[in-house]
Amino acid sequence: MADAPGGGEEGGGGKRHQKKRAKKGSTRIDMTPMVDLAFLLLTFFILTTTMYKPSTLQMTFPVPDEDPTDDKKTELSNAITLILTAKDQIFYYIGEFHTPTDGSGKPPTTLTRTDFSKVRQVLLERNKEAVEKLNQLARDFNSGKLDEAAYDSLRRKTKGDPTNLKAIIKTDKDAKYRNMIDIVDEMDISGIGSYGVLDSLKTAEQLLLDAEKATL
Amino acid sequence: MPKLKMPKKSPELDMTPMVDLAFLLVTFFMLTAQFRPEEAVAVDTPSSMSQSPIPTENLMTIVVDSAGKVYWDMTDKKVRLKVLEEMGKRINYTPSDEDKVKFANVGAVGIPIQQLPAYLALPTGGARKEFDRQFEGIPTDSTNNQLRDWIITTRLLFYEEAGINPLVALKADGNTNYSKVAEVIRIFQSPGIQINRFKMITDLEESRM
Repeated sequence: MADAPGGGEEGGGGKRHQKKRAKKGSTRIDMTPMVDLAFLLLTFFILTTTMYKPSTLQMTFPVPDEDPTDDKKTELSNAITLILTAKDQIFYYIGEFHTPTDGSGKPPTTLTRTDFSKVRQVLLERNKEAVEKLNQLARDFNSGKLDEAAYDSLRRKTKGDPTNLKAIIKTDKDAKYRNMIDIVDEMDISGIGSYGVLDSLKTAEQLLLDAEKATL
Repeated sequence: MPKLKMPKKSPELDMTPMVDLAFLLVTFFMLTAQFRPEEAVAVDTPSSMSQSPIPTENLMTIVVDSAGKVYWDMTDKKVRLKVLEEMGKRINYTPSDEDKVKFANVGAVGIPIQQLPAYLALPTGGARKEFDRQFEGIPTDSTNNQLRDWIITTRLLFYEEAGINPLVALKADGNTNYSKVAEVIRIFQSPGIQINRFKMITDLEESRM
């Protein structure tokens, strides 16, 4: 090394001196590519650690009746029954279910068809009072008139008001799990506090639904 | 003149502290990152607006995939091993230490219990997936309700270990028929199990409302 002739590009001056300078210049390495790589990895890890965000939906199902013959009557006059079926379609009827021959003298129930883009409108319309109250509460909370605890308890009280719309969600055999989650979400949006999910239909409901499904 | 001489500053910036910091952060993120464990099941959960986070401990998950196959999963490794021993007794199978380690890391299990020893003997990855495909998940029919056994055993052993009941989550694919999910829920609610409160795992939806 030391006896290599000439300083090459630097040119001129004493040989020994020249050598030393050249060495001094090369002690520093260019760290730019390393920094590039480091930040690339950094960005990758930051992005991948925050991308996957699952959440959970807490569900409470009613305890099954021990005695199925004990027919508890639920007040259904302000209830909407939503039947989820194939192709993301929903059929609904209001109040109790009547057939032409059940002797109640009421007009027989017909199913109205809707889907997930329109069902919210139907529910909000039918649950108008509760939705307005809930919106008012939300405004009061946001403007600082209510503290969080008061807001929560008032919200729960408004949602649980027995005069509100109730919903019975029934699923046909063709309904998808996604439909069920979506409708439960809709319940939350439309401020419906009392709803139940059932996976069986009454025979009369099934007949009516099959007739409607044939027209899909 | 010599007084006026300014100290010659290199135009190049010393990047060492920056590199130090960058690598420190890289190391930190690499070490703390929890990759999603390789799952035996690909489940596309539906989205909902619920924001409550998923618990990472004490959680028993029942998975239903889009074809309706049912899987069992448990986060607590100690309980997993006990469950394996207990379930193994039903088929006169005593897991070796090696099998136990494999079972602890296998994630969701979705095969009939009779096939479990054969399943654990396979190497991870493709072979297991292939094996898995031959079966219809954990049997749930009323004559051979193994899902019920899994759930009861897990709850019992978890209670012995921790003194509390495990949290229960249901993770189903959005395209599963609801009737299959309802079947699982009916098993949850059946006498002897009676899980009436559980969590449904969903993806967080941001753009609705």
